[in-house]
Amino acid sequence: MIYLDNNATTAVAPEVYEAMQPYLSKYFGNPSSPHALGRHMKHAVEDARIEVASLIGAADPKEIVFTSCGSESDNWAIRGVLATRPDKKHVVTTLVEHEAVRNVCHQLEKEGYDVTWLGVDGNGELDLEELRNALRADTALVSIMLANNETGVLFPMREIGHIVRERSGAVFHVDGVQAVGKVPIELKSCNVDLFALSGHKLHAPQGVGALYVRSGVELPSFILGGKQEEGRRAGTLAVPNIVGLGAACSLARIDGDHTLIESLRNQLEDGILEGISNAHLNGIADRTKRLPNTSSISFEHVDGQSILAHLDDKGICVSTGSACHSSSHTASPTLKAMNVPYSMAQGSIRFSVGRYNTEEEIETTLDVLPKIISKLVEMSPTAK
Amino acid sequence: MIETLKDHFLNPRNVGEADEPRFTGRAGSFVCGAAARLSVQLDESHNVTEARFKAAGCEVLIASLSILTERVRGKTTTDAALMGQHPETLAVELSVEKDKVHCVQLACDALVAAICEYSDVARNEWIGEEALICTCFFVSEQTIEREIRDKGLTTVSEVTRACNAGGGCGSCQPLIVELLEASWD
Repeated sequence: MIYLDNNATTAVAPEVYEAMQPYLSKYFGNPSSPHALGRHMKHAVEDARIEVASLIGAADPKEIVFTSCGSESDNWAIRGVLATRPDKKHVVTTLVEHEAVRNVCHQLEKEGYDVTWLGVDGNGELDLEELRNALRADTALVSIMLANNETGVLFPMREIGHIVRERSGAVFHVDGVQAVGKVPIELKSCNVDLFALSGHKLHAPQGVGALYVRSGVELPSFILGGKQEEGRRAGTLAVPNIVGLGAACSLARIDGDHTLIESLRNQLEDGILEGISNAHLNGIADRTKRLPNTSSISFEHVDGQSILAHLDDKGICVSTGSACHSSSHTASPTLKAMNVPYSMAQGSIRFSVGRYNTEEEIETTLDVLPKIISKLVEMSPTAK
Repeated sequence: MIETLKDHFLNPRNVGEADEPRFTGRAGSFVCGAAARLSVQLDESHNVTEARFKAAGCEVLIASLSILTERVRGKTTTDAALMGQHPETLAVELSVEKDKVHCVQLACDALVAAICEYSDVARNEWIGEEALICTCFFVSEQTIEREIRDKGLTTVSEVTRACNAGGGCGSCQPLIVELLEASWD
């Protein structure tokens, strides 16, 4: 199997697996227990907290709170901020956020909030002037992702934070889920108040995430119960997963060179764009403004689902921006916001390379894909 | 995914355009963005000699078109139209999930549309004494008028139950409506 879907989830790294194992066997205590076993668990959690903090450049490990996933972190951040500012009813976000932010903001609109949805240009980039103009005296929160999950386009978090701080009293939340472990991040020198991350995107297991809460930012609990995480998030800590997240952050920091991943991505992207005539890149061509591992490519006149299914038959895993369900519209909101024409948005495929891919796998993909595309183009009723 | 479906998706039969003289049907969905075109060639006794398709869409759409184009070969236009009128039968046979039934429907719509195109042409070219309305079941205007009058029919489905007219590709249903309306005057 050739796995080119690392933005969906990643394989648990062997180093992570090894670090977790004792916590799935002999170390089974509750980190809240005061006895020796509990204390051992507590230490493991605090070590992991330090690892997470150092990967994202937090000033203090206390700023890291463990959660169950990225979506929980995003939901908590947004809902928590608004709960502390009941008089402010305005939120600024973008049209290209992950569902964990987008759907919360849609819900806020139903509840009477005024949401400003910032658009993007054809390259998938924000207009910062639009952001400046959107900020108001009653803006409670600005929620803008760091890296787009579909196109890999990076938003200028540092600059955005500066604008938000300079022009408003709003809290700045960043959905960093897709970026952590792929690009260097230093939150202590950015005006970021909240930052969500998820373990399984960086070779930790599924079921663990974290929220960075800058010291001094008030954020009421989302899940009520015990006094875990200094009263900020109730629920017995998922110690094996948290240990896994710590090990994954350590791996990403120590072995954080993305040169190989980037060269594989470039090899794949160049091969497709040069070798397949109806292939078009989604997102800015300048690779320094995108994640090093992601390529979103549209194949005009063909359907993304059929490409995916043919690749799947050949043992190659990718994802598509289009999906056909009678209940939902298919074209991806991100590509729609970028004004990608319908005939192309339908045929979008996301390739996301990871730590364990090889040059040979990319070559196989480049050998298999053109045949699939030409077969589908031949079948297309709209292709000339 | 069941094997038949997978096989027809990966190795679709009858891709392309039927040879002339051909009749073509199109179907598309704004919801899922899929598009299908199906063409049939007929012999002198109105049997399907060839059916071919082109499509951009999901596995279910492509497999359905591949299967339908195989099955209608040798069938009369009436049987082909009836096959197209029953997407649920094919959906059940292929164990298609509920939210993908509309993809089977789309394939069937393209088939029915192709037969409709044939029917419209056949109706216009008809040179018999009585005007031909239903080309699938070969029902004349007089017959339909008589049925309406004698049995006091008021809806298209009643007409179809009485004399089959309108029960194939459905292209003559607007004409049946006109006859119904005329009978009320």
